[in-house]
Amino acid sequence: MVRIESLSKSFDKGKTFALKDVSFSLKEGDVYAIVGESGSGKTTLIRLIAGLETPDSGFIELNGIQVSSIKKMVSPEKRNIGLVFQEYALFPHLSLLDNILYGISKLKNKKDRAQEVLELVGLAEMKDRYPHQLSGGQQQRVALARALAPKPSLLILDEPFSNLDSMLRSQLRNEVFDIIKKTGVTAIFVTHDTQDALSVADEILILQGGKLVQKDQAANLYTKPTSVYVASLFGNTIQLSKELQSVFECPLKTDCCHAIRNENIAINDECEYVTHATVLKKTFLGNDTQLLIKLDNGEHLTVITKHNNITERITIGFNSKDVLEFRE
Amino acid sequence: MKQAGSNTIFSLKNRLFRLKRDSNRWSIITLVVVFLIALPVISIAVKLFDGPGETWSHIVAHLLFQYVYNSFYLLVVCSVLVLLFGVTTSWLVSRFEFPFRKQLEWLLILPLAIPSYIVAYAYAGIFDYGGTLELIQRFMGLQFTRIDIMNRFGLAFVLSISLFPYVYVSSRAFFLNQANNLLEASRVLGVKEWNSFFKLILPLARPAIIAGLILVLMEVLNDYGAATYFGVSTFTTGIFRSWFSLEEPETAIYLSALLVLLVFALILFEKWQRRHIQFTNSKSGNKRIYRKKISKKMQLLILVMVSFPVLFGFLLPLAQLLYWGFLTYSAVFEYQFLLLSLQTFGIAFITATFTVIFATLLIFSAKWNKIGVIKNLSRLGVLGYAIPGAVVAIGVMIPTIFIDKWLIGTMHSIFSYTSGFLIHGTLIALVYAYVIRFLAVAYNPIESTTLKVSNTIPDASKTLGVGNFKTFFKIEFPLIKTGILSAFILVFIDVLKELPLTLILKPFHINTLAVKAFEYASDERVMEAAIPSLFIIFTATIPVIFLNRLLAKN
Repeated sequence: MVRIESLSKSFDKGKTFALKDVSFSLKEGDVYAIVGESGSGKTTLIRLIAGLETPDSGFIELNGIQVSSIKKMVSPEKRNIGLVFQEYALFPHLSLLDNILYGISKLKNKKDRAQEVLELVGLAEMKDRYPHQLSGGQQQRVALARALAPKPSLLILDEPFSNLDSMLRSQLRNEVFDIIKKTGVTAIFVTHDTQDALSVADEILILQGGKLVQKDQAANLYTKPTSVYVASLFGNTIQLSKELQSVFECPLKTDCCHAIRNENIAINDECEYVTHATVLKKTFLGNDTQLLIKLDNGEHLTVITKHNNITERITIGFNSKDVLEFRE
Repeated sequence: MKQAGSNTIFSLKNRLFRLKRDSNRWSIITLVVVFLIALPVISIAVKLFDGPGETWSHIVAHLLFQYVYNSFYLLVVCSVLVLLFGVTTSWLVSRFEFPFRKQLEWLLILPLAIPSYIVAYAYAGIFDYGGTLELIQRFMGLQFTRIDIMNRFGLAFVLSISLFPYVYVSSRAFFLNQANNLLEASRVLGVKEWNSFFKLILPLARPAIIAGLILVLMEVLNDYGAATYFGVSTFTTGIFRSWFSLEEPETAIYLSALLVLLVFALILFEKWQRRHIQFTNSKSGNKRIYRKKISKKMQLLILVMVSFPVLFGFLLPLAQLLYWGFLTYSAVFEYQFLLLSLQTFGIAFITATFTVIFATLLIFSAKWNKIGVIKNLSRLGVLGYAIPGAVVAIGVMIPTIFIDKWLIGTMHSIFSYTSGFLIHGTLIALVYAYVIRFLAVAYNPIESTTLKVSNTIPDASKTLGVGNFKTFFKIEFPLIKTGILSAFILVFIDVLKELPLTLILKPFHINTLAVKAFEYASDERVMEAAIPSLFIIFTATIPVIFLNRLLAKN
């Protein structure tokens, strides 16, 4: 339902690219997460999809119709895309109800529709309040209701939980995506928090430096990352350099890069590849213990373990199935 | 898929495609508005090619030096005086606690409510033979010693004492909001008050102070009423003389061009002096300045120092005018005068309305246009305020007469009907010139309130299916109302006070309070100028106070 082909955008006439040559397509009814650090181009990407920015090259198709290209721009008001802004962007001078009615003023049964979405987000009894009288979480839900009211064919959420504290965050995340699933709308949400993406997205798109580096399901991103960067998004990794490979006596292909996740390093001698190490420092982390160890070749590593009776000399190792392989 | 390189993306062909895609009606509207505003300057530039008038060589030989010398003299002396009045008062009221500080803080703005030519009339009245000073001296049984102020220095003093609030306002804003951290840091380091002011605060406040100073200097170059009354020949009086006495438009145009060059040099200097300054928006970091408690003796000294500009810039001229007004109101205050006042307010109202509409149109059409170059070009629209009123007037006259001649010609050939001028010498030309001159006055408050509204608010409206135009009326307008209202009031006041432009362009049968005051003064009936002057001052003071409240509320 969304198709994007070699989309690029530069804000300084080509000196640097906020988005460079990005192509992908999205299926109807799925929830997508766009993950990337600040400056990775994720906000630019959704603003381009919404029609708030114009591309420098490439095109965007919505439901088979080209809406953005180098020759054509369908204005944002004609795209039927709902957008929930990071800072919610509620109209401060309008009541909650008027905020929601704003996008559906031409609808015949607009009052009913407004009531419907207000009930969906559980704020029906607050409809006469003004945005400044609501809490952050409530404003968030109003913004969602307002975006859903015109029944958009695509819903985009820009960093929807970044303004909320962590307690509220996971609760609201589940609430919001329950609502989205209920409506069945295709949704894209932007986040820099991998946890957000993992818990609710059907598929995750990873942007780095304006480029799309991987688009896949969460499980595949974890087990088959195509780059060190993607692997590092889901936890700490240890790069398997030539030296480490010889210490563990594991011969790996020479035309690839390899890494192993910290949590896949075990402290026992039953792994395929093992070596001995000296524990330098133990840090108690609650569930786990973090160890700073020194390998016999002098290299330092940090590993995490659930064991709590660690001796000074340990054997550590990993299995070949956990080795991550990248072509870089 | 082949990688599209930066080269092909930014090839000429693709640039043109995007240009075509991004151009919309707002791009065109922005260009049209900017063109209309730039038209006077363009006209003057084009007219330069017609060559100077017959008297030009005479002026160059005998008068030009005097114009240049006097104008520079005024710029230099006014700079010194205005910095002295403006910076010291703003520092004292920001830094120290003393009796009547709060009242003086806003009284120091009020000299702006009196146009400088009216201050000039009042001062002439105080120091003239048989003037107030002589009366007081005789009353006290003293020998009359006349102080002659009808000269260059007198003019510089009058202009400075009535214009220093520009510097006061801009430097006070800096002192109140930015100086606290600096002071704390320098106190921790053990630097004395006096030293930290001169070595730390003043250099950092320089861009703010100079921004205010440049506004003063533009007003100095703009002034006609005070200079001509004091008999000092400046560029502006020269333009008037060549236009009205010598009846040589070409010469007036050449002088105007020189004056515009001088103004642009000032603007470039202002830009250059803050080339290294980055505006940091430290909302949370800076506390408001902490006021120092000082001894009673010092308090008294500061009170006297701060009261001086208020006394000489506002209270004294006001008292003189009230005295004159008391003597003449029965002769001046009659039916004709009421009509004149209504006319003035009407013109100010129409002008303020149009100016606000044009400023808003320029801001929003530039925003809705998607072409970067045009967006930058729209900033040129505010330069009208830098151009002296007399120059704007002459610049407006050139194209309006041209269009009128063409219209008259066509009407004559088609309908064989000979009409008079349709634009020139009518309210249309006058209001058009006012709009150009005061666009920046409206532009700045509207723009600053617009910038306070996050861009995502209109973006949200658009993604909800509402177009630019409707978004403006439903969302943005309610949110920037205060900015628009302030803009309206500011332009309204400026029109009331405006003299040189009005003198040149006003329709024959229409008058304003400012022109009436000027006419009385020129006819040696300066006492009668008091009533129209007081009308201007009171109508200008009330909104200033109201505006202060309005801005304080936000």
